[in-house]
Amino acid sequence: MADPDLAALEADPELATIFLSETFDHLSSLEASVLTLEASPEDRKALNDVFRPFHTIKAGAGALGLASVEELAHRVENLLDRARFGEHRIRAAEIELILASVDLLTGMMRDVEGRLAGHDGSDFHDRCAVLITALDHLSEAAPADQEFSPAPHAYDAQESPQGGRRIGLEGGSSQATVKVDTRKLDSLVDLVGELAIVQSMIHEDPHVLGKTDERLNRNLAQLHRITSELQRGSIAMRLVPIRQTFQRMSRLVRDLSQKSGKALDLVVSGEDTELDRKVVEEISDPLMHMLRNSVDHGIEDADTRRRAGKPPQGRLSLTAYHEGGNVVIAVADDGSGLDTERIHRKAVAQKLVEPGTALSESEIHALIFRPGFSTASELTEISGRGIGMDVVRRNVETLRGRIEIRSSPDVGATFLIKLPLTLATIEGLLLSVGAQRFVLPTFVVRESLRPAPDRTHFIPGQGWVVQVREELLPLVRLADLFRIPAAVTNPDEAVVIVLEDHPRHMALMVDQLLGKQEIVIKSLGEALVNIAGVAGGAILADGRISLILDARGLMRLKHREAPSYAA
Amino acid sequence: MNAVTSDGRAVEPAAATTQAFAGKYLTFVLDAEEYAVSVLKVREIIKVMDITTVPQLPSYVKGVINLRGKVIPVVDLRLKFGMAAKDYSERTCIIVVDVAVKSGGAVLMGVVVDSVSDVMNISADELAEPPDFGEVADGNCVQALAKIKGTVKILLNLDSMLGADEELVRV
Repeated sequence: MADPDLAALEADPELATIFLSETFDHLSSLEASVLTLEASPEDRKALNDVFRPFHTIKAGAGALGLASVEELAHRVENLLDRARFGEHRIRAAEIELILASVDLLTGMMRDVEGRLAGHDGSDFHDRCAVLITALDHLSEAAPADQEFSPAPHAYDAQESPQGGRRIGLEGGSSQATVKVDTRKLDSLVDLVGELAIVQSMIHEDPHVLGKTDERLNRNLAQLHRITSELQRGSIAMRLVPIRQTFQRMSRLVRDLSQKSGKALDLVVSGEDTELDRKVVEEISDPLMHMLRNSVDHGIEDADTRRRAGKPPQGRLSLTAYHEGGNVVIAVADDGSGLDTERIHRKAVAQKLVEPGTALSESEIHALIFRPGFSTASELTEISGRGIGMDVVRRNVETLRGRIEIRSSPDVGATFLIKLPLTLATIEGLLLSVGAQRFVLPTFVVRESLRPAPDRTHFIPGQGWVVQVREELLPLVRLADLFRIPAAVTNPDEAVVIVLEDHPRHMALMVDQLLGKQEIVIKSLGEALVNIAGVAGGAILADGRISLILDARGLMRLKHREAPSYAA
Repeated sequence: MNAVTSDGRAVEPAAATTQAFAGKYLTFVLDAEEYAVSVLKVREIIKVMDITTVPQLPSYVKGVINLRGKVIPVVDLRLKFGMAAKDYSERTCIIVVDVAVKSGGAVLMGVVVDSVSDVMNISADELAEPPDFGEVADGNCVQALAKIKGTVKILLNLDSMLGADEELVRV
């Protein structure tokens, strides 16, 4: 690569990684700080919180020869510096430019990151120049307002006004932290997971189980205790607070408010709730989409709100909390609620349901997650980009979570995203078919039962169905899908597992249930990706591998297979 | 055996091609034949263990095993070569090999063989190019033949044999 500005970074990849990750941290924390500053432009602390990261970025970029990044950060710093000395007042225009600078700097840094990885870069020169001109223009054109003259003592204790200003270390509490490459962390978590499995293998070994030696048993108990603590500890290392993701949402809502012309308030709580790093990263897109959706379809315009006796300001809330072994993220609005009648009509029009079908409220709510469903009458800039709630739901399901809807007319709608605390292990239902064992994640299981003889029927051309209470469900025999020999063929002797709607309820016929187990999910390796119906492998306590079933994949497989009456 | 192809294609002198294949080999038996793979490819040799069947795979892929916490696929060479299946016995082994895949990396795979024989040095003058059978499927499986003390050992190229279908899944 011949990018002169990258020479320093290329010479020291480790330094480059640190610089990039720190800069991204600064940029993402900046968004929230700028919004705080916007809410209280005369708050010294808020101003300093915005000033400091720009200064750090400028200094870092300067030292590493990223001239254009340095230049832009420098101009913003100048503007903020003038504000700090009471020579300039922060108003809407300033906030706008500062936010634009954060965006552009983020773009430029992504570009640097991309170029370091060998991708082609883009030209930011023009956009940078426009922004710098605007910043300069603003700095010069807007003198301080008369009434705005903060007393010198209002400055941070960290700074001495006479010349040599010191830039404080960020944050007051100095909890020592170490930055670790996530791959190292992941491989550690993996190893600990394996250790836990080996530990339980030793524990359940028949040679060991028979022993009554007290010292051996004591040592084994000790090993068990340490292993579980180690496992808990290593899982905890992957947990990060959801704060940053929530901060990004504040920015989004601000932009949505401007674009839609609806006055909006976002109330955020539980930002300290911790989730697996991967979940925190990947929940961002679904959250954005749900907020857009709430603004577009939920929050009414000011007139309607006034007529309904609501404050003109639309209220959105984003809350994270623990519930059972899960983390729940609630996205709520105080809008009109889900219009069940309209959704039903639309679903009929889009041929998702037969006309005249009677559906319960929750069934109607579930319709919005169907692919191809959209109630937006016209496409707006905010939502209606062709991705719908089905994508949101799929993303959440990839993270092994699920979405529930609570809605009441005129009061508002709440979407609850329930996510597992960790992706390292899942609770699985161990089952057998023929001589093979499989694991089904418990979160896809609604119930399991042994069907009465008159409850299963073969429908020619369609396949088997089973009647569970009033519902007729397609009955899929795992033995048929996977061609497993020597499986139970008589439904009366089998066990039927009803799966959660994915997207429709389905029943799976297996030989036996063997129990519940915490399992570590393993990929089957590069050579065996994309096996329909299989999500991965789990190593069981006896050291053997059992395949983890993928409910969606099974459903697709079922459609490929011709139904057969005979086993 | 003749080291020159019969259709007169330009071939390098046998010595040059075979020179590259001289080195240490692990030999093993399949049915009545003896085969060899470069020891540089071999990670370890293990007894046959429980293999978990995976659906929708070609029949020669027996499934996956747990290699100390790693899940790796296992291929039965008898079935891969179209020989009759044989029940696994005390002597049956899984040779764990590194297979280079097209995407650049290498994956671990297990290869089931009837029995493992020996590790031996094979020198260039014992090597001959395989005879040309014209265009055949799996034609790249064999990289050379070694004639040692009146026996013939078939040197396999596992990369082109197993790495070519990087994804074993039949779509």
